[in-house]
Amino acid sequence: MSASEQKEELLDQLYDQTIEGKAEPVRTLTEELLKQGVAPNEILFNGLIPALEEVGRMFEEGTYFVPEMLVSAKAMQGSMSILKPLIAEQGIQPVGIFVMGTVHGDIHDIGKDLCNIMLEGAGFEVIDLGVNVPAERFVEAIQEHQPDALGMSAFLTTTMPMLKTNIDVIQRAGLRDMTKIYVGGAPVTLEYSKSVGADGYAPTGSALVRDLKKLSLTP
Amino acid sequence: MVQNVFPDEKLLQKFNIDFRWLVPNWVGIREVEGENAYRDMWGIKWVYMLNAFSLSDSPLKEAGMSELGRFPWPDPHNPEMFSGLREQARQWHENTEYVIVGDSIKGGLLTKALQIRGYEGFFADLVENLPFAEALLDKLLSFYKEAWTRYLKEVGEYVRVVYFTDDVGAQNAMLISPATFRSVIKPRLKELIDHIKGQADVKFMYHTDGSVVPVIEDFIEMGVDILNPIQTSAMGMDTYAMKETYGNRICFHGAIDVQQMLPFSTVEEVRYDVAKRIYDLGRGGGFFLSTCHDIGEDVSPENIIALFESAQEYGQYPLAMEGILKPEDLNPEPASLVQDAPTTKKARRPRRG
Repeated sequence: MSASEQKEELLDQLYDQTIEGKAEPVRTLTEELLKQGVAPNEILFNGLIPALEEVGRMFEEGTYFVPEMLVSAKAMQGSMSILKPLIAEQGIQPVGIFVMGTVHGDIHDIGKDLCNIMLEGAGFEVIDLGVNVPAERFVEAIQEHQPDALGMSAFLTTTMPMLKTNIDVIQRAGLRDMTKIYVGGAPVTLEYSKSVGADGYAPTGSALVRDLKKLSLTP
Repeated sequence: MVQNVFPDEKLLQKFNIDFRWLVPNWVGIREVEGENAYRDMWGIKWVYMLNAFSLSDSPLKEAGMSELGRFPWPDPHNPEMFSGLREQARQWHENTEYVIVGDSIKGGLLTKALQIRGYEGFFADLVENLPFAEALLDKLLSFYKEAWTRYLKEVGEYVRVVYFTDDVGAQNAMLISPATFRSVIKPRLKELIDHIKGQADVKFMYHTDGSVVPVIEDFIEMGVDILNPIQTSAMGMDTYAMKETYGNRICFHGAIDVQQMLPFSTVEEVRYDVAKRIYDLGRGGGFFLSTCHDIGEDVSPENIIALFESAQEYGQYPLAMEGILKPEDLNPEPASLVQDAPTTKKARRPRRG
């Protein structure tokens, strides 16, 4: 087997094991690929990202559910934790910066966390502000990180109004035009996202990544 | 969101509410010092945010199999849990015509496992560590069986319906796959339902939020008599089609959505939705109209009044919806209900360049 065939074979395995959510083999394969001299960026773009895109597709189609998706995402994170410092060392810029947080009064995090992993998988640097994030923290994060996009999640109808509150506060701080604002979470709809003045809405992490591609932010 | 809401009896009477709920007492609550938070009898921590308590810590998040046995499980025979309920039930039974419901001992099988292990942890267990997931569910099942035995010893002769809260649905799909539900959750729920029905002559009402169309047939097989809350804002929960498909084998309870409909509708829209749900689910009987969850502070008093007044007005048999519902909502062609999605195999890795 030639070196290039061997590389493709290993990438195939990495792709399969990531989709299957097998954390240990994913780490081992990542290390093996690096040992073979494959560039970290190539492992990311030719192995992990296509795997995560496929996981997203299977989730949207109803083959995968939250448990399967979480386990895949965790496996991918294991590989990313090896690759990220190497990619940073090589001075490769992220495709964009995304600030993310769950709104004040709300501590639901699974949807947000899955989006973060999809974003990281798509090459974004994600600044996760966590849960129960006050409006001022979003303002500070825009000033500090100058993100290409900012995402806010609300899981309850009673915390959903915070989306509008936050956008208003960002507006009053004079920062509204500095970044695209996405909203999401179980009760949020496209219609609602428009009514609060957001730029975008995504029902799933993979839909978010697809939408960002339209902004030509991702490869 | 775990807290109990006790509606004022005067309001219940004003709106002609037919159900009265016996609620097991909360025991073993420990306040967390310095925080607006508490731990419940399972050790699950809840913190107060805005206007509700949210899950913030799970006692078994780091546990392995051996910790399961050592975990201080609550006592299902704790008499405090049910004290006063028998007297309350007897009073209602002797003096009123209300349907007496035995409310859940908070939490179900999947929901409690997720709370006690942590959502991410238990979801991962279902894929990576099934023996642990099943051992945890078995511990919960054995607690519920014993607690329901004790509970029904107290009130079994008075209650006509028992209520068991679980959640297996999410907004756009089920929380877990129908296959996982069938292999892991369903057999244990069936065992619990058989057990409960062996203790008293009761109907079993099962609560699950979200989108659950693929497993309604399974609910019927398990012995669920009444399904709650029919979250119409979740994917695929088409009330007309559900009634057409399952209506002669299961009753429906709920269908008045608090996520989109009640907070964001005009009074006229609320009235129309009530008429539609009564028509969709109430044809031939078998429908208990109710909100799908607590009515939040985002719902106007006008909409609440419109809901219960129109329910009174339209909820009389024989149903007469001509002139009230639009022609397209009367005898529509039933939508096809989403069953298990066709599962495809994963695609091969695309080669670049």
